[in-house]
Amino acid sequence: MKTINKKTVKTISCDQAIKLVFSYIDDEIRGTHRAELEHHLETCRHCFDRVAFEKLLKSRLRRLNVGGSSKRLRQRIDTLLEQF
Amino acid sequence: MGTIIPSWRQLDEGYMRLTQQQREEIKRLVLPLLDDLERFALSLCHREDLAEELVAATIASACESFGRLRDTTKAKQWLFRILSNKFLSDCRRQSRHKEIALTDSLEDDNNQFSLFAAVSQPFLLWWGNPERELISHLLDEDIQNALDSLPGDFRVAVALCDVEGLTYEQIASILKIPLGTVRSRIARGRSLLQKKLWHHARDMGLVKTKEPHQ
Ligand SMILES: [Zn+2]
Repeated sequence: MKTINKKTVKTISCDQAIKLVFSYIDDEIRGTHRAELEHHLETCRHCFDRVAFEKLLKSRLRRLNVGGSSKRLRQRIDTLLEQF
Repeated sequence: MGTIIPSWRQLDEGYMRLTQQQREEIKRLVLPLLDDLERFALSLCHREDLAEELVAATIASACESFGRLRDTTKAKQWLFRILSNKFLSDCRRQSRHKEIALTDSLEDDNNQFSLFAAVSQPFLLWWGNPERELISHLLDEDIQNALDSLPGDFRVAVALCDVEGLTYEQIASILKIPLGTVRSRIARGRSLLQKKLWHHARDMGLVKTKEPHQ
């Protein structure tokens, strides 16, 4: 198994870290970039908070309309598709 | 959304033209995805009646082009594509968002509005966590309204990513756009959404900061 050695992880700036935040919360970065960002987050409170904030907002969007829909559509579709 | 969206009658007619075998197949593919389709439609157009019309129009189109679906394991992707396209063509018809095509080509993704940056106060740590507090004060309706305010292309990208939880690759495949464009639309969409939330929070007296720089 290949592991990334902490010592070889490049130190990145806050600006570089911020650019990776969306990809990170969307689980869209792997390997070196991910390791670099995670290493940064261990040492930078500001970027850590930023990630937590973006995750929180994303989770609020994820919650939208869950189970909020009416049964009306299903009934209409069912009725329509079953009549044939 | 106008009244241009195809009606239930079109769905009725489209379905009627299918063979019995195709009808069974459509039912098998569409019915389990109905909740997903409705939720996606609701996140795009908010109003229940419009969302229902959009789903009906989507299934009507699916009936018409059913023969072109080669891989039935990709039914969800196919239906989401039809729904997205219907929604976007309706947006464009209303031509409220002419600027979309232009903004896509701009490369300045790094200098966008961030609600966190506008609200957080790193030098006042003892105040607790104002940015998290702000989120907790926002209602689902506020967030949905902010989503509604986005131009269609950005709204679709953010809804597919955040509401539906799809990967960038899945979104690229649904919208038939490059990965880089997906990434950029999500970033821009979030930035616009956060700016909208910031203005709302300011109007509601939830934040006391001055106008953000961007
Ligand atoms: Zn940092």
